[in-house]
Amino acid sequence: MRALSQPLGGGPETNPLDLVCAQASMKTGALLDRHLSEGVRERLEGLAATLPDLFGTLDPTCLVRIAERLGGEPGEATFGEILLLSDRSLHVIQPLTSQPGVALVAECPATSSIGMVLSAIRARIVSMEGG
Amino acid sequence: MSVERESTRVLPSIPASPGLITSVLRLLAVIDDLPKGATGVLKFGDNGLILLESRKICWAVARSMRLRLTDILRNQSTPPLPREAVEEIYRRCKIDGRPIGEALVMSGLVSEAGLRVALFKHNGEAIAHLAGSGLSPEAFVSHTRTGYDPKFSFSPCEVLAMLGSLDDPARALAAQIELGNTLVPDSFGAAFVRSDTVSGALVIAVDRACDLPVSDLVEVCNWTAGLFDVAHTFDREAALARATWGGRLALVTWRAKDVAYVGVCASRAAAARLVSRLESTAKSSGVIAAAARYGGPA
Repeated sequence: MRALSQPLGGGPETNPLDLVCAQASMKTGALLDRHLSEGVRERLEGLAATLPDLFGTLDPTCLVRIAERLGGEPGEATFGEILLLSDRSLHVIQPLTSQPGVALVAECPATSSIGMVLSAIRARIVSMEGG
Repeated sequence: MSVERESTRVLPSIPASPGLITSVLRLLAVIDDLPKGATGVLKFGDNGLILLESRKICWAVARSMRLRLTDILRNQSTPPLPREAVEEIYRRCKIDGRPIGEALVMSGLVSEAGLRVALFKHNGEAIAHLAGSGLSPEAFVSHTRTGYDPKFSFSPCEVLAMLGSLDDPARALAAQIELGNTLVPDSFGAAFVRSDTVSGALVIAVDRACDLPVSDLVEVCNWTAGLFDVAHTFDREAALARATWGGRLALVTWRAKDVAYVGVCASRAAAARLVSRLESTAKSSGVIAAAARYGGPA
């Protein structure tokens, strides 16, 4: 399995989105990648620390009931992808289906297109899970 | 010719007590727990009743309430509607078994919008009185007779929001406008604040399509409030978020000053449109910083 951590490329030419990502535990909020640079760790640590709150505080049956009211299948009782936007940054949390309890956390400047960022993250996950 | 006044949404005869919303939530949850499509009467013995059609509130009355629908309707217009004309229609409706509100619309004395506002006030007040009395419904008697116009029935969420708006009607009206201007097709939403009167989120506005169980609406609002709390630990300007679940559903949440909003989207496309609309509104308003547009951390 290829590491997900660190920038998606080696520099601005190969990582024009300035996107960094890493795996984190949804139970403890700790970053799981040991070889992160200090800069990447700094950008992702706070986001990772929120995971237990974001994924552990909503009554799971609530999402099921809402899905039913919307006429859909009951589906999953937990959130999938979460995006957080500010004028500075775009943060993404993507639980990994191949590793329950683990999520990919990512951050990039807010100037990036949301679509391009999500595509890059999904490509990264596919590459990791298939690699 | 009489002119209907703008709705104030204020119910002056409802006592604003700290426990009101909690007791109203308990009562509305009883309605939410009824089977889908429940039509009939929720009885409170001699103290009142709530008439439901497809689990929506068509009519509610409490023995302790002071205002009658006819009084509300009369006083909504300037000058007030002539009492004799209203009472004549009331008498005929009683004989024919027709809903009085709809007969008043047919007569041209009241507009549909005016009737909806009056019914909303009347039913909200009745529910506040029933909930405040601490009584539980004695029975739900279902029936198959229908006939209330869906335009004049209200979801438990709408009633909850109306009573939540009593705290600050101007803020609630602004939130209602924000929802109306922002939500996209395939989405519905709510606005809420934190208040000392409840232990969590106080819902102050919903759009008419919002028909979630009230406990789930409050749960989602509380989660959203927590989301911004934790997000602000690493990004003080986080003001917009999207969370997806199931195959296609999403929540989109944003903030404006001390009011937070949540949009429930029935498709990923609706969620994308809503986020895009919020982003472009922030940019076109000349405010580059989303946090300035959305108010930043409270």
